[in-house]
Amino acid sequence: MAAEVVAAVDVMTVEQIAASQMGMKALGAGIAVGLTGIGSGVAEMGIGSAAVGAVAENKDMFGLALLFTVIPETIVIFGLVVALLLLFV
Amino acid sequence: MVGMRGISAPYIYVCTRMRVRKAKLIPREEYQRMLNMGLPEITRIIGETEYKQEIDELGTTFKGIDLIEVALSWNLAKEYQKIQEITPGTLKTFTQAYLRRWDIQNVLTILRGRMQGAKTGKIKEILVPAGSLDTQALDRLLGEENPERVIEALKGHHMYPVLAREYPYAKESGSFSRMENELFKQFYAEIIAGAESGIKGGNLFLDFIRLDIDIKNLKTLFRLRADALDADIREMHIPGGALSATDFANLNTIKNQGEFIDMLKGLYRQKALLALLDEIREEKTIRDVETRLTRVQLEQMEKMSKRHPISIHPILVYLEKKKYEVFNLRALARGKESKLPSEKIVDYLVM
Repeated sequence: MAAEVVAAVDVMTVEQIAASQMGMKALGAGIAVGLTGIGSGVAEMGIGSAAVGAVAENKDMFGLALLFTVIPETIVIFGLVVALLLLFV
Repeated sequence: MVGMRGISAPYIYVCTRMRVRKAKLIPREEYQRMLNMGLPEITRIIGETEYKQEIDELGTTFKGIDLIEVALSWNLAKEYQKIQEITPGTLKTFTQAYLRRWDIQNVLTILRGRMQGAKTGKIKEILVPAGSLDTQALDRLLGEENPERVIEALKGHHMYPVLAREYPYAKESGSFSRMENELFKQFYAEIIAGAESGIKGGNLFLDFIRLDIDIKNLKTLFRLRADALDADIREMHIPGGALSATDFANLNTIKNQGEFIDMLKGLYRQKALLALLDEIREEKTIRDVETRLTRVQLEQMEKMSKRHPISIHPILVYLEKKKYEVFNLRALARGKESKLPSEKIVDYLVM
């Protein structure tokens, strides 16, 4: 098995290896943004429903409720930063 | 829609709405202020709160105490109906089951009113159409001339068998208290059976119901002591709480207040209740004991709602607190109307 992998790498050209590395980076970036997006979504579900509930009862809370709802967006921003670092640095 | 730990967004939404509504209830200091006011000022203050719409709508038809009475009943009914509309899934089932107690109250009010020959309009003022019997159903019942026909009109309703069974006794004795006990026993048995049927969140609802039954049984015991009544008291016991029928009967036979309290303390575990029992070791008026018990019940419910923030508890706490707010305002207005001193009125308030 190991011998087959070594053989496969042996036959790859430099361009192919570079393309494979780029592919891995793209996959990593995709996973970083995707998972943090899901994380933000789950976190915002609770806060968002509570915020809508509070605003339904008291319209003055809208600004504060919106602010609280978007706080978990930072998680996806971290993911995005990691993705950009992976792709462009 | 189901997120972490199986809590869904609509549950969080409704529980938050109930918390905001609870925060808007009239605070203790406001009652203290109102105690020093006259009826017109109290009406104005109520008209500036959540009761504004009802006070404005009814202001042209009613005046003085009648305006407050009707506005409070309308607001309570509207609030309860609104909550039933917005609660999702099993929370709705539990809320509706809990609000069915208003059916008992409404039917008994109509029966008592008809028995005493009260005017239809006067009876209607104090009805709260919050249970399964809506305004149209209650209007139909109000259209009946005598208690027999009112009961006949309820044929098919789950209360009918008890009403039909108990009415001859009520008519003979002229009192609906036994019928009321039987209806409440049926009500609690039904909601306990419903909560134990394996519905999600049923055990939390059951905790609330057990607390309610415990406090109700305790109030009955203290009332029996105050009245020194020698009737068959086992009939007044509501099963389902911490107190068994045998303990209930035994407790009523103890004449010494100290021994009575000691035995009660052995039967309950809640710290707040035990502290209250110690406080009422010396003889207190029945009104005072009842108000304190209600306060302990509300405190316990509040604790339960904090322990389970996304459950049926925040909804039930709000329903109960709202009910007591209406009772308080009614007591305040009635007290002022009858020119009672503030110190006397304050005994009737649950703050």
